[in-house]
Amino acid sequence: MTPVSILLWSVLLLPLTGAALGMLCPSVRAVMALVRAGVLLTAAAAAGCIWAVHAGPAVETAWEWLRLDALSAYHLGVMMLVFTLSSLYLPGYFAAETASGHFTVAQARRFGALWFGALAAMGVVLLSNNIGIMWVGIEATTLVTAFLICIHRTPASLEAMWKYLIICSVGVAFAFMGTLLAGAAAEHLHLEGAQMLLWSRLRENAAGLDPALMKVAFLFLLVGYGTKAGLAPMHSWLPDAHSQAPGPVSALFSGFMLNASLYCIMRYLPLVDAATAHTGWGPRLVLLLGLVSIGVAAVFILFQTDLKRLLAYSSVEHMGIIAVGLGLGGPGILAALFHTLNHALCKPMAFFAAGRLGQMYGTHDTARLSGCLRGAPVWGRALFGSLLAVIGVAPFAVFMSEFMILRAAARNGAWWTLGIFLAGLAVVFIGVLRQAVNMAWGEPVAVPKEERAGTMDRVLIVGALGALLVLGVWFPEVLSGMLDRASNIVEGTQ
Amino acid sequence: MNLPIDSVMLVLVVTNLLLLGLSQLRSCVHAVAVQGFALGLLPLLVRQSGGPTVWTLLVVLVTIGLKGVVFPKLLQEALRDADVRREKRPHVGYTMSMVMGFVALAGAAWLSSRLPAFSGSPSTLAAPVSFFMIFVGLFIILSRNHAVNQIVGYLVLENGIYVFGVVLLHELPLLVEMGVLLDAFAAVFVMGVAVYHINSEFDHVDVDQLDKLKG
Repeated sequence: MTPVSILLWSVLLLPLTGAALGMLCPSVRAVMALVRAGVLLTAAAAAGCIWAVHAGPAVETAWEWLRLDALSAYHLGVMMLVFTLSSLYLPGYFAAETASGHFTVAQARRFGALWFGALAAMGVVLLSNNIGIMWVGIEATTLVTAFLICIHRTPASLEAMWKYLIICSVGVAFAFMGTLLAGAAAEHLHLEGAQMLLWSRLRENAAGLDPALMKVAFLFLLVGYGTKAGLAPMHSWLPDAHSQAPGPVSALFSGFMLNASLYCIMRYLPLVDAATAHTGWGPRLVLLLGLVSIGVAAVFILFQTDLKRLLAYSSVEHMGIIAVGLGLGGPGILAALFHTLNHALCKPMAFFAAGRLGQMYGTHDTARLSGCLRGAPVWGRALFGSLLAVIGVAPFAVFMSEFMILRAAARNGAWWTLGIFLAGLAVVFIGVLRQAVNMAWGEPVAVPKEERAGTMDRVLIVGALGALLVLGVWFPEVLSGMLDRASNIVEGTQ
Repeated sequence: MNLPIDSVMLVLVVTNLLLLGLSQLRSCVHAVAVQGFALGLLPLLVRQSGGPTVWTLLVVLVTIGLKGVVFPKLLQEALRDADVRREKRPHVGYTMSMVMGFVALAGAAWLSSRLPAFSGSPSTLAAPVSFFMIFVGLFIILSRNHAVNQIVGYLVLENGIYVFGVVLLHELPLLVEMGVLLDAFAAVFVMGVAVYHINSEFDHVDVDQLDKLKG
């Protein structure tokens, strides 16, 4: 075994070990320490893997069933970033819950095991070269995270969990049908049984895939993975699940779980494009779904009174933005991938703030949170700052990636796309900013509990928002090189 | 024509139509169990060349065990706890559901006629039946309120995909097949647990009344 393959395996096996150990922890504090240590260790292993492929060719192991190339390495990096941020935030969040008796040791153990389980499942999605196993990873993610939504068992959280389970299970079943159809499209290539569903093999032979079957396959895949990615009109589970889940879990959902599903769509884009002789059929569909998502999210954001639902609809919008970038192709894909990172930095921050403010105010109603800069200076500022980043105020990096997508649209002469994209973003900008200003400086209507913000909280806030500011003005070469190679994979030129 | 496989297909179509017309939840669970049994035999009938291997037998046993025995048992447990005998107010009436079933059958036949013929497929019925089951599963999930019925719909959907995989893609790596079965098992188990919790929290499992979260 080469060192890299050991690292690849450990990205999958470390979280599983953590999940098992989590069940044995004697106290809430021990669970939190284990989560932090386990996630940081996995992040270190992942960093090693990413370093190994960041400039070289893809690495493969386990008879080609595990594979890491620039696209999956980039997503692995984003995933570990989200998990690391959330795991560092966890102790502070649950300290308040434990103090008020809402978080017992049994709940903590279950939470720890599920948290590690989610990490392992998403790792399987990114690392498997077999598109069947990649699907298994997405399905496992659904099942594991369902219980994370209702860690606190209330009627509302159970309702959210049921909707999430049934809608996403059906969606993911569609994705499986799509996977099988893609396999059927490759049947006449006479690949050996074990290689039939290997992405790298399909990619090599993509031009020979049956176009009709591949088209049907892509329709199923787009609906299926699109459901899990929260693209409208299949997004109906998302606001409920995000608003009922505890803060760190919502952060994980928005920060990476949606992207894991979009990643699956990215894997199929070069296949369907080559099979349909590069007529742009596949990307056009993705573009359309993206525009619909932006439009739907914009309308719902205007009427939201619940902070977490507002953030959830904003995630629908951002997944739409990424989809539009993917659909535009060329520099649009690079911008979409960059946007993935930016969204993964700002949205978890916003959910972190919403979670802590929710604990202090006992509600997520935006009207009741009014004046939170005075009531909770640290997390109030974090909320306001991250909302500004979310809506793409310059010079936050979100602005840069959105601008890059606009430029890609202009370059393609896609004026309708450009118009709808701009209109949607403008509506969201106004809708969110109005609420953000009111929450920050409005007349206080409720008296919050005393804010207890630790050093770690401050480090997280300054670190994440600072990184977004830096990325907005400076595009490091390592990142741009990685993005370039990753977007070539989606485009199909590499 | 392949008589054994086509008879299985017939059983699948009939159980689907039954599911659309039955109001007793217990009978729905029975119908889906019969479907699971019939389905489980498929790998044996498809791989004729060289006789069945140990792996094929294992897949057959696991499939029948899960889809024919374990899932229905789990659902019956959920029904016993929930203490409900029939769907009270389905969104679409039973006669209308049957009509929709026939429409779905025609639609499935049309869709698969548009696709290129699958080389080496042992049965021409497999593709239309598989699409039909997917449609029916989706229809049951959308039109029924009882959580157990929605799980039944999910199972029919999964079964439809299984038919497609086993009959049309018989070279599918067995590891993938096993992963998929395991996932289906986990999904049904998780849903069962969810129903149990919903039942103890709300005193009912009518998904229609889970409507507090809106907008």
